[in-house]
Amino acid sequence: MRFFISRLVGGVASIFGASVLGFIFLRLLPANPTRLLLGPLASPAAVRALRLQMGLNRSVPVQYWDYISQFFRGSWGYSYIYGRTVRELIASRLPASLELELCAFAIALFFTLLLALLTTYRPHRFLSGLTRGLALFGQSTPVFWLALVSLVVFVSWLKILPGPNGQLSAGITPPPVTTGMVLIDSLLAGDLTAFWNACEHLVLPAVVLSLPSFGFLVRLLRANLLDVAHEPFLLVARGRGLSRWKTYSRHALPNAALPTLTASGLLLAQMLAGSVFVETIFNWPGVGALVVNSVSNEDYSVVQAFVLLSACAYVVLNVLIDLLSGVLDPRVRRRAA
Amino acid sequence: MSLALPADLERAAAPDSGRFGILRQLLFGTPGSTIATGALALLAIAVTIGPLAWGKNPTTLNILNALQAPSWAHPMGTDENGRDVFARFLAGGWLSLIAALLVAVSAALVGGLLGVIAGFVGGIVDAVIGRFMDAILAFPALLLAVAVTVGLGAGVWTAALGILLGAIPWYALLLRSDTLRVRNRAYIEAARALGARRALLVRRHIIPHVMPTLLVQFAAVFGYAVLMLAGLGFIGLGAQPPTAEWGSMIAEGLQYTLTGQWWIGVFPGLGVFIAACATAVLADQMAKVLDPRRTEG
Repeated sequence: MRFFISRLVGGVASIFGASVLGFIFLRLLPANPTRLLLGPLASPAAVRALRLQMGLNRSVPVQYWDYISQFFRGSWGYSYIYGRTVRELIASRLPASLELELCAFAIALFFTLLLALLTTYRPHRFLSGLTRGLALFGQSTPVFWLALVSLVVFVSWLKILPGPNGQLSAGITPPPVTTGMVLIDSLLAGDLTAFWNACEHLVLPAVVLSLPSFGFLVRLLRANLLDVAHEPFLLVARGRGLSRWKTYSRHALPNAALPTLTASGLLLAQMLAGSVFVETIFNWPGVGALVVNSVSNEDYSVVQAFVLLSACAYVVLNVLIDLLSGVLDPRVRRRAA
Repeated sequence: MSLALPADLERAAAPDSGRFGILRQLLFGTPGSTIATGALALLAIAVTIGPLAWGKNPTTLNILNALQAPSWAHPMGTDENGRDVFARFLAGGWLSLIAALLVAVSAALVGGLLGVIAGFVGGIVDAVIGRFMDAILAFPALLLAVAVTVGLGAGVWTAALGILLGAIPWYALLLRSDTLRVRNRAYIEAARALGARRALLVRRHIIPHVMPTLLVQFAAVFGYAVLMLAGLGFIGLGAQPPTAEWGSMIAEGLQYTLTGQWWIGVFPGLGVFIAACATAVLADQMAKVLDPRRTEG
């Protein structure tokens, strides 16, 4: 119990710290924070009005309180480019991002398990080399460059995939919106043409986005599996007559998976950062592309909300993972207490 | 068949020892690290003397010459304003690599110092530093840099500051735990009993001990900084036009990828890729050589 409470308190402290940092950089240090929110075209009168409303003449703690209570009440400001509140805007863009990120995650996870298992179950020189090479490639290639090269190769030269025009080709009628994820919506509507078209549009961005996560995951899981392989309890299990595969799947894998799970909070950070680039390049109508578009239009209220939101999501996920590994592994709980 | 001399045998048994031996193992220990060292050296030389040797101005406009494919006159072609992409590649590479180097060095200094202080002093100082690092780590690294650049104004140096801020905890947390591990060892206690002052203890006994970790992190942070700088440049928060920078060059090339002028974006990306990849290989090799306990299969 103490373990759970201490983790929750730690999470709250992290969010508090993050919000203070965000406040310092986005509110306190900018010479003119109202300009950041209203954009370069706002009239001096509007800027003055917002200055009063934001209370920039009041003390710093009061300003911080205003800033943070507004954020948690969900009033994240107004986008002057799109003419909508930031909350509406982000909510309308979220399903497309989730669709892309979930697919990328599934791809990364599938290939991680496949290659990590294949290369550690029986040592295989070629496959190990290939996996290591792919992992290195995934971890150190800039995703935006990879996206660009993949467009040149698959769309421009080979012409086997549709161009970067979002989730569907122009001629395809979008299915009725229920979840906002085109893949699921088209299936629900029974529209196979749209479904296939959506798949074709999804495959390139999803694979590109999955590569950094794959590189990170496969290295971690392989290292953990190789670590576990030398543990005496595996020898004992074999000695008791378990088959090689049973020893591996029942004893080695669960022990190696836990440390991998703990580090997977970083995956969310990678996905959030990666989706910003990938969505922009593939004109994917998600939150990441929205953020980049807002940066180039100096529509910073969207960017500010996105930064704090992802910090919150990141902290919450990390706390959840901590709690989960505490539930799965009593040693974690004992070590912390 | 030749006779093996005792000296040769000795060398075979302990192939590389001493300072230069370790350095040789770091840079040329495996075929991979040799290639990585070569690639990085080539890139460094190219961006250092290249701009002078090549002689073309990276920002001179020449609209009549726009969107030319790679040729002898323009090895990487020209962009939409007729600027020579190779000249921009060299100038942009110089900026990217220097900024990344500065980020890695200053993050090592600040983060390393904070980590050693936190580990060595402990108590309230340790707690305060720890909370501060937690606050930074609550942000996904790229988004912290975005927040800093949005708040302070877009540009290479604010971008570098944002990346630096995000990299400090990596050093600080690792060095703190390294320091904690040696702080209570007998030889430090002995030195203390002999009357050594704190500063001397840290300089003579703690810093040499944490150096391997610091070096491995340094390599990792350098590669990461190159990637992040390019990322911020791509979003439009890094170097502002007309300054050449790899990330913003990729963004400029984006709209021409599908119209056939792939060279505008692909070459600067190749620069980022080579720098980041080579650094990652070297960082792995460093971890293996400097800390044999950590092995990666």
